Amino acid sequence: MSDRALRRAAAIVALAGTAVAGYLTWAHYADTAVVCVAGGGCETVQESEYAEIAGIPVAVLGLVAYTVILALIAWDTPMARLSAATIALVGLLFSAYLVVLQLFVIDAVCVWCLANDLLIAPALAVLTGVRLRGDWGQIRGV
Amino acid sequence: MAAMKPTASDRPSRRTVIVAFAGAVLAAVALVAVAWFGRNDGNTQATNPTPVVDLTGIPQEGRLLGSPEADVTLIEYADAQCPGCRFYTEEIFPTVADEYVRPGKVKTEFRGFPFIGPDSVKALRFIYAAGLQDKLWQLQEALYRNQGGENDGWVTEDLLRRVASEIPGLDVDKLVSDAGSAAITEEADAAKGEAEAAGVPGTPSLLIKIGDAEPYFIQVATAAQVGAALDDALQG
Repeated sequence: MSDRALRRAAAIVALAGTAVAGYLTWAHYADTAVVCVAGGGCETVQESEYAEIAGIPVAVLGLVAYTVILALIAWDTPMARLSAATIALVGLLFSAYLVVLQLFVIDAVCVWCLANDLLIAPALAVLTGVRLRGDWGQIRGV
Repeated sequence: MAAMKPTASDRPSRRTVIVAFAGAVLAAVALVAVAWFGRNDGNTQATNPTPVVDLTGIPQEGRLLGSPEADVTLIEYADAQCPGCRFYTEEIFPTVADEYVRPGKVKTEFRGFPFIGPDSVKALRFIYAAGLQDKLWQLQEALYRNQGGENDGWVTEDLLRRVASEIPGLDVDKLVSDAGSAAITEEADAAKGEAEAAGVPGTPSLLIKIGDAEPYFIQVATAAQVGAALDDALQG
């Protein structure tokens, strides 16, 4: 896979993350319901004591992180790539914590959150990480 | 987006990468610690002791609320354990009841979609049983005011009896007896499959039916959205 394709894929995944986090942020501040889909649980997760960190909704943190990563992908200097991969790694680790919370503590699963935690965050971490590895590969080839 | 080709001079050193990733791990650990130890233990749903909507004087028969003559029907698919359904009942339904149902412009029909767990079916048996006494809408509203977490065991017979006893005109012993009847049990057990067969994706789901026409789904997010959809339906 070429670096250009990797960059485009990372941008698409980050956009998907922005969309999901944006929807959950909107639902939070519009004080509206997240529609319960198969299995229910979204409102339970959104209204749980774990849905905010120091008064900031987790969805807002996700939205900020994805927006910054998108900007870094657009900027695309070597340091920007490292920064994007670093933020994506923080996101991956925090997403793992959120999955554990949903499954074993809150005992409710939000499909929107799981889409982020199990698909988008890991995919972004892998894509940004692979691009970083690519940098080293290209440099070795110079 | 033109990708910039890195050179040996501008690429981060191996040490920078290791420091950045170690920082990422530390940041994640710090974030988890702040999230875990700083969580708000008091952030629980407060129970409102009084009904959020006054249904007195609105015709009610079985699962229908409102004038049987109304040509427009608002169909609600709900699960008593669904927090989104509680949101609909507490934040949107009062507007629907006061502005559309009470004046006789619209009638609304309850349909169960008990998909969250066994307690959803149990609650639905009591909701259907309340319909036999034309108090379905009062019991549904009262259950949402006392709603607990999904599948955490809040749908007890004690709670159902207490909630039902606060509804004027509802015979609690008959309610409990009807809720355990074979007919109601069979209906409640079949409700999930029927809703799925009707293409209902989740709860709350609202559909509008005009006369005998095929019902269509509408958005549930705000009272203004639901009101606009009902206005459109009333204009034909």
